[in-house]
Amino acid sequence: MKTKMNTMHPQAQQDFRIAVRRLGTVWICLIVLLLLSLGSSYIRLGIGNSITGLVIATIKSCLVLWFFMRLRSADALTRFAWIAALLILVLIFSLSGVDYATRITYPAPWQTPEQLHAPRFN
Amino acid sequence: MTTVVEREPSAFEIQFASRAQQEHAATFGMWVFLATELVFFGPLFVAYAYGRLHWGEAFAVASRHTDVVLGSINTALLLTSSTLVALAAIAAKSELRKIMRYLLAATVALGIVFLVIKGFEYHAEWREGLVPGNGFHIEGTAQGEAQLFFFLYFMMTGVHAIHITVGIGLLSAFALRGMDANFARADRIEIAALYWHFVDMVWIFLYPLLYLVERHS
Repeated sequence: MKTKMNTMHPQAQQDFRIAVRRLGTVWICLIVLLLLSLGSSYIRLGIGNSITGLVIATIKSCLVLWFFMRLRSADALTRFAWIAALLILVLIFSLSGVDYATRITYPAPWQTPEQLHAPRFN
Repeated sequence: MTTVVEREPSAFEIQFASRAQQEHAATFGMWVFLATELVFFGPLFVAYAYGRLHWGEAFAVASRHTDVVLGSINTALLLTSSTLVALAAIAAKSELRKIMRYLLAATVALGIVFLVIKGFEYHAEWREGLVPGNGFHIEGTAQGEAQLFFFLYFMMTGVHAIHITVGIGLLSAFALRGMDANFARADRIEIAALYWHFVDMVWIFLYPLLYLVERHS
């Protein structure tokens, strides 16, 4: 084992250096996106605040998926697993969303009293 | 007639035709597991979306009670740890075992710092009375709706913290036994790294949803 450590393949070291540079650049992008996301939340944008936050989060996770999790060099089957998961997530959101969007909300007992329209008996 | 297939005993398990096939099956298995994890976290995000759309103002006020500085530091820590573990996987593949061990140890250290910071946050929230229950109290908005935000906050960050703990255990084992080429195999490090990246990705979405809602108000 020790011999292997001492005689590290120069090509391996070279490959590693290239990876450090590439992933280092991705890290810088991620941190810049984090700061952008933080900064944007202090600017009044209305609904734009939530959209900006989620768009930046999506870009960040795409970077993680593509470069760190190496989805860019993954085979079709692996990509399919991920796409299937995303489709199920879309189903969860859309089906539950339709249900909740068309449902009448009754306040829970622990919600603020002014929301509860209790019948008056006197 | 029985055909005896000759193979190296430690090269790959009996159910596989080659080492490459075994590694592919393991990586694919992890991706399928992560897909189920996505479906596990999904409903929590649906619950959040429902609350944010129905009680937007209460969720915004409640979100401003979270510690944005600590939340941002924790996000940076996780992004950095993800970069380090990605490099560890590459180092393992290149047989740079010493570097791999340092990178894994650094990732574990960042994960522990993340949990410690989260612990301080929970402690502060407990003292402020933000933990859902009888003692819950928040200024400036409806108690019930804000309580639902904090219920989701503790649920989502709590489940995430459990995942981080599992990841720390996993990566620690590889860091400690990193010189053992049979144990800390490159494909195993790759799979452990995939898990860590996924947990990082969940946090990437939790950060704007829990910490950054209408900070300008």
